[in-house]
Amino acid sequence: MKSPSNDFQRSMRFALIFGVTFMGIALMISGCAKSIPSSEPLLPLTPASTDSNAGTWKMIVLTGPTQITVAAPAVASDPGYQAELTSILNEQGHLTDSERSLITYWSGSGVLRWNEILRNLVAANDLPPEPVNGTYPAPDPNNPFDIPTYPFSNPPYAARAYSYVSIAQYDALKAAWYYKFLYNRAQPFQNNTKIQLLMSATGLPSYPSEDAVEAGVNSTLLAKLFPTGINLISNTASEQQEAVLLSGKASSSDWTAGFALGQAVATAFLARANNDGMKSAAGNPAEWAQLAANATAQGQIPWISQETPPRPPMLPLFGQVQAWMLSPSNVSNLLAPPPPSTSSPQMQQEAAAVKSAVENITRDQLATVYKWNDGANSVTPPGHWNAIAVPYISNAKFSEVRAARTLALVNMALHDSAIECWYTKYNYFNPRPSQLDPSIKVLIPLPNFPSYVSGHSEFSAAASDVLDYVFPSNGGYFDAQAQEAAMSRLYGGIHYPSDIKYGLTQGKQVGDFTVNFAKADGAN
Amino acid sequence: MVTKSAVLSGTLYTHDAWDHYWEGTNNRTNGNLGTVTTQTLDFNAVYGFKNRINVLGTVPFIWTQASQGVLHGQKGFQDISLAVKYELIRWQLRQWGTVRVFPVVSGSIPLNNYEPDFQPMSVGLHAKTIAPRTTVNFQGLHGLYGNGSAAYVFRSNVTLDRNYYYTNGQLYLSNQVAMPNQFVYSVAAGYMGRGMMFVGTFAEQQTRGGGDIRPQDLPFISNRMNSSKAGGAAVIPIPLHLLHGLQYWFMYSNTFDGRNVGQSNTFTSGLMYQIQFHRRSAQ
Repeated sequence: MKSPSNDFQRSMRFALIFGVTFMGIALMISGCAKSIPSSEPLLPLTPASTDSNAGTWKMIVLTGPTQITVAAPAVASDPGYQAELTSILNEQGHLTDSERSLITYWSGSGVLRWNEILRNLVAANDLPPEPVNGTYPAPDPNNPFDIPTYPFSNPPYAARAYSYVSIAQYDALKAAWYYKFLYNRAQPFQNNTKIQLLMSATGLPSYPSEDAVEAGVNSTLLAKLFPTGINLISNTASEQQEAVLLSGKASSSDWTAGFALGQAVATAFLARANNDGMKSAAGNPAEWAQLAANATAQGQIPWISQETPPRPPMLPLFGQVQAWMLSPSNVSNLLAPPPPSTSSPQMQQEAAAVKSAVENITRDQLATVYKWNDGANSVTPPGHWNAIAVPYISNAKFSEVRAARTLALVNMALHDSAIECWYTKYNYFNPRPSQLDPSIKVLIPLPNFPSYVSGHSEFSAAASDVLDYVFPSNGGYFDAQAQEAAMSRLYGGIHYPSDIKYGLTQGKQVGDFTVNFAKADGAN
Repeated sequence: MVTKSAVLSGTLYTHDAWDHYWEGTNNRTNGNLGTVTTQTLDFNAVYGFKNRINVLGTVPFIWTQASQGVLHGQKGFQDISLAVKYELIRWQLRQWGTVRVFPVVSGSIPLNNYEPDFQPMSVGLHAKTIAPRTTVNFQGLHGLYGNGSAAYVFRSNVTLDRNYYYTNGQLYLSNQVAMPNQFVYSVAAGYMGRGMMFVGTFAEQQTRGGGDIRPQDLPFISNRMNSSKAGGAAVIPIPLHLLHGLQYWFMYSNTFDGRNVGQSNTFTSGLMYQIQFHRRSAQ
């Protein structure tokens, strides 16, 4: 006989066991669920060197450091400047927690923070237009918020954007360095000993503010390149300004002069961008048909879009956009040799190699396919290489101008390799493996442009070439990453072995132009 | 519930297909996918640990394919799920029937290192889950049957093969993806008696966070995947003298509303067999 109280006790015991077991497992699972970072964990930047001669380093677009005039600052005893210092002192007396965390965020490196923002904007805009009634409406720069939003930040668009922003910032910071050491104005905490320095010491003169130069360049260029990101862009600039002015590192006149310099340099770069050939890079239906006709005339099967409905090829005239280090004749001279004929036994073997790679893929190979996917909704391959460079720049404790140089060199090579790669792709108009052999299925969405040569391979070889130069003791890391990136496209089923081989070769050739520039730019 | 030392086990085949899906809240088709078909073989077992405690387990093997476009189908074992179900309360309602209340704890763990970053072709999302559930069940004296169940599903972070991803309006610089938890509930009502069951079903899944699929993007594992499904289910005994306890199961559901999911038609069919290993007299 069971008594009701026994039954009750048994129920309670079960309830307790259930409860304790469940809570334990739930805690184990939620214990793993830590918050996911959306910014780099950068340590406060104490530069290894002030790079005081950076004002003499070779410019890329500006004619020289004085192309944009920065007027001399007021003397330290000036009442207006003294009022600026008093204002900093007052603000530092009642810092809020959010102000303190802003200061921490911006004490890492403004150059690297803006690079994070840029990657965010690229990913936010990296979506192709959706089909409407069987066709694809084009994004309209004059109505960027309309659907489809402008831009479609595909790899060439992104490569160009990364390069404009990085190079403009680099030229602007070299000019800033020139004026800093020309005027030698001490930082606020040095001019008023009651002011604390809440960021790491940079050892730099404060006028014009390097942070303000970064904010001026980035906010001006990004607003043009990614107009729908305007809120993120202007908030970022305001937050950097707030953090720097509270930190005791710069005063408001330091900021104003730096921001104006950054804006002026950005404007000079926008003038170049307006006439660099990008506006006609999308081509028109007659030009697209001509590309196919050219391939047919060579006895080759022309590339066709495998999307449904067929999508126009991605930026077929991007190969004619102005490069940074390559002249138009360099671009045509670096054209890769022709791919195997689409009717040749070698091409059949290559297609069979692709099919075999996909069907026999290992889990490790699959991991590289998705690590390097960098397709729609991503920072793109150029952004991926920016992300690879960031921890090296941070660990090297580069000054802001040297950090900017590194990103400028990497992105210069990436932009130029995008041009060379697109020039080659549309010269040969070579079909993807899945077009030649429809039984080939792919493991990542198929890029909508010709196969030969592989963009990932070319981008990666160019970027690793430059990074090898800047960080010679990387233990072969960059080259290994480039090889992995290149091979991931074979495993994923979207590139032939030849695409990869010649993409890597061509990328290195393009990268060397930037390395040769860097060897003689005065920064070594 | 099965009785102590009984085992109900079998294999169910599910065919799930959609050609429309919700990109966020926008219902559309996609010429690069055509119809996406997911076939599942579920190996199921329910064990009567005690008369009032059942242990349930399922191992699914999954194949995916798209009828158009170039994306490669995937196949493999997905996540093993285990549940413990306890009959906490049994109310005899004299002229009506019996109401039972079951607390259930269920959990699932991926059976292998399948790739989750290839939606919608991946076989699963690769999250570990644990879910407390409450089930209330009514069995009328004349066969009227009703069942309601609600659960809150805690989901672990998922590790991707890449170091950054963009979702829900933000670039994340990590290979870790926080998976929003889910609230799910379902109801079934109809007839159960003489070893048979015929019910209409409704099931709802609400994901408590996550971003939408953006225009012309592919789905992402942490998307806010919501669905409302309606359908029916039948269990019919197969009268074989040599194999007493064999049942035919059939289920159908239609996803009539959703967000970031396919507008699926789902058919499940299979055989389940109940065996009593040893019977002990009631105390």
